[in-house]
Amino acid sequence: MEPNVYIPKLAKIIHIKEEVGGARAIKTFRTVFVNGDGFSHRCGQCAMLSVFGKGESMISISSSPLVKDYLQFSILKMGRVTAALHEMEVGDLVGIRGPYGNGFPVEAWTGKNLVFIGGGIGLAPIWSVLQTALAKKEEYGELTLIYGARTSKDIVFKEELADLKKQMTVHLSIDVAEPEWTEFVGFVPQNVLDKKPDPSNTIAITCGPPIMIKFVIKALQDLKFADNQIYTTVENKMKCGIGKCGRCNIGQHYVCKDGPVYSWAELKKLPQEY
Amino acid sequence: MANFEDLKEEARKLLREGKIKYLIGYGTGGNGWQAIPVFIKTPEDVEKLVWDPTCVHNLARFLVDEKRRKARQKQPDKRPVGVVVKGCDSRAIVVLLQEKFIDRQDIYVLGVSCEKAGVIDDHKLARKLGGKKPKKIELAADRFLITTADGKVEFPVEELLAERCLECQANFPVLYDILAGEKTRKAVDKPFGSVEKIEALGQEERWRFWKEQLDKCIRCYACRSVCPMCYCDECVVDSINLAVTADTTAEEKAHKVKWIQRSAESSENFVYHLVRAIHLAGRCIDCGECERACPLDIPLRFLNKKLEKEAKELFGYEVGFDPAQPPLISSFKDDDPGDFIR
Amino acid sequence: MTLEISSGKMMDKILEKKSLPLWMEKLNAWTVYAPRKDENERWNYEIIDHAPASLELAVTTLPAKALIFPQREVFLEFSKTIEGNRETLEVREVLPNGKPFVIFGVRPCDARAIWLLDRVFGGDFTDPYYWKRRSQASLIGLACHTPPWENCFCLSVEGSPHGEEGLDILLTDLGDSYYVKTLSTNGEKLVQAARELFKEPQPDDKKKVQARHAEARKKLVRGVKGTKKERAAALQGLFDSSLWDEESMSCIQCGICTYLCPSCHCFDINDEVDSISPLRGKRVRTWDNCQFPDFTMHSSGHNPRPDKASRLRQRVLHKFRYFVENFDQVMCTGCGRCISLCPVGIDIIKVLDKVSNHGA
Repeated sequence: MEPNVYIPKLAKIIHIKEEVGGARAIKTFRTVFVNGDGFSHRCGQCAMLSVFGKGESMISISSSPLVKDYLQFSILKMGRVTAALHEMEVGDLVGIRGPYGNGFPVEAWTGKNLVFIGGGIGLAPIWSVLQTALAKKEEYGELTLIYGARTSKDIVFKEELADLKKQMTVHLSIDVAEPEWTEFVGFVPQNVLDKKPDPSNTIAITCGPPIMIKFVIKALQDLKFADNQIYTTVENKMKCGIGKCGRCNIGQHYVCKDGPVYSWAELKKLPQEY
Repeated sequence: MANFEDLKEEARKLLREGKIKYLIGYGTGGNGWQAIPVFIKTPEDVEKLVWDPTCVHNLARFLVDEKRRKARQKQPDKRPVGVVVKGCDSRAIVVLLQEKFIDRQDIYVLGVSCEKAGVIDDHKLARKLGGKKPKKIELAADRFLITTADGKVEFPVEELLAERCLECQANFPVLYDILAGEKTRKAVDKPFGSVEKIEALGQEERWRFWKEQLDKCIRCYACRSVCPMCYCDECVVDSINLAVTADTTAEEKAHKVKWIQRSAESSENFVYHLVRAIHLAGRCIDCGECERACPLDIPLRFLNKKLEKEAKELFGYEVGFDPAQPPLISSFKDDDPGDFIR
Repeated sequence: MTLEISSGKMMDKILEKKSLPLWMEKLNAWTVYAPRKDENERWNYEIIDHAPASLELAVTTLPAKALIFPQREVFLEFSKTIEGNRETLEVREVLPNGKPFVIFGVRPCDARAIWLLDRVFGGDFTDPYYWKRRSQASLIGLACHTPPWENCFCLSVEGSPHGEEGLDILLTDLGDSYYVKTLSTNGEKLVQAARELFKEPQPDDKKKVQARHAEARKKLVRGVKGTKKERAAALQGLFDSSLWDEESMSCIQCGICTYLCPSCHCFDINDEVDSISPLRGKRVRTWDNCQFPDFTMHSSGHNPRPDKASRLRQRVLHKFRYFVENFDQVMCTGCGRCISLCPVGIDIIKVLDKVSNHGA
């Protein structure tokens, strides 16, 4: 008897970190399954998080599959479910069902240089790939991160980024100058053009607000990246997470099931309705 | 007195001279005999306009779409739109003007009079024709002439008229820039006759009646979608914020009250329909579209008509005749009844 | 997950029309639904309190899908209990637990639509709620000897007035009897439950059936042009066309075309809270509709389909292109409900006509 795909498994929140406070609050949650019957995931996959009484929200799993002790989710407070999550405390129970989606084809990228390009909360969906590549550094080429946020306060994983700088190239940016800020000032796509990542034997992985993704792809094309060297992960309003409720489609694809990871070569063939 | 051909000529002139952006009128639909709403953009297309007893739609409804369309455009075309209206539809326009939802200069009103008749009720027609398919429906004085594959049949208008037309006290437009047809007042014996029949049922019977009817509802919201007065950007049934801007906080969205669940259960269906009726008190002009659109034939008109009756009896308020009259719920008179205040 | 399909060796039978109510009465192991007409001449499937004398060609307002994929169903119940200072959260699955049921008089287009929905609710993830009801359902179809109304177009979307997909039994009206073609083991069970009522067919009965079917096919008036592949290709080229804006001008964004469509399946999932403290409630699935403005709206307010034109385009493309890409089938069975019941007369056949003419 197959388990019911709509019934979430219970998980306990074991750790909460406030990444960003204020109106655009972001918190990182770590969860463990209560009954030990969890699941393992691939980089880029997502899970439906349940707050019983409020609803469900599809969130990228930002921890690497190599981490077995917990699943990590970084969540921007946006509406009913995410606001309820933000009010939860360590020890509270949530429901999790998944993993959903197609994941990044990391096996195909061994030996290649990887350039991660993120904006705001967009760093979270690609964090799992970055952490995995870092843990298996010898299997990949050069690792670079180009990441920006609106202000220095909006940067996520602040401590992790400080650590990261010791292990790989990290270029940060904020939109508007601040007194203590010494790195790039401007939008992420502009930073990409400024740092000029080399396309040879390189894969670029980007995620952020839709408008940022659009301009990053353009910047990468200007830098002579081929369409199949550019990867992104898209999002859409979701309810079932398994390609049945009809809501999240881009053309004939359901983002929850056939996506959310796409190369630009694949994504440009779909109707640009997302 | 102008007739429908004069009205069409006026429409051609307005479009030729660019005085209106486009015209919302009735055209003949796919099956060749039933009218549907059409959007006329060129003088040549005016030929498509028809006026016959199947013109049931309240075209004032599309003025809401026009307003939304303009709101989305960076440089909207500010010319008026033309709209063909019957008596009932014109009263909808009056309510929209009373509520300042539209301006008089946004519209050019082409009125048509139902004279002593009105529009046909689909179900009554189906029953009378016993399965025969109509090909054309015309009005001749006090009879409807129906052409079928087997020839012509005729019926006195009262046998086929929609119930609301039998109770109608505004069979010609109260507001217009040009009018086709006579301004003949129809004598109406019992303007609230259909409601009185339900009122006469005992409380138990009435409860059973409404429970049976509202249990049929599948919450398709056709009743709400077809109503010109249901123009709220965010309706009480919407459990999520629809009018979301960059400034809407997560807390606002999180704390939005879910008044009604999406489930088509008895309790939710009752709340939806009763709340909608109350929100239409003093605003519904009985165009009957909600009931006509309902695929499960729920007699929604009764709910709205009941409140229209109360507005008249308690407050002397008549809906949709005077654009300068304030809306019922947002005004009061010193001599309003107060006996319910203890 | 598949249903058991007849191996083709099941015997065809004849049932005299006067025996129809007797058959229905014998089926007390099932809940029996049949089309019933109300005072407004509208049909709907209802549990019969007494068996009708015969089956008429009925276009029910709600399609058969409503009995297998209902407007509302509960997925699970959740409750928090507090014992001392320990709070426990319990989540209980709630599966449909009704009796097996049989629906008499299903039109082949409604049955074919359920056959299409089997693909949506199966595949990589099995929807247990749909399949529980699906496995309990037996569908007895009635072949259309004439189009039940003027807006039928089943033949041009790979259906047929005597189509068998999704059915357990197909009845063909032969005047004073029905030709009973059993199509599955579920169908067999229904016949066996009253086997004494069924006779062997005469040698020329099968020919009569074929003649009736051929006659019915000739009577169909309306149709959409082209093959499913041609239409899908034409639609791809017209994604950015102004056609969608023109055709959606009179659309009022209600849910009639989708809710009453036998093959539409979009749904919403919401938590309904019965008690806030201690927390108690249900997670519920309800029908949803791609024509509602908020269907695809993100929490941020961003809406990939912000206007009527893009939503109408989605509906037409989903049915005539995306479903063809994913399952090699048209997600429309030509029942005509969306055309007859649209309050403003939007006609999908006319929209598709414009699509084929555009490309020409």
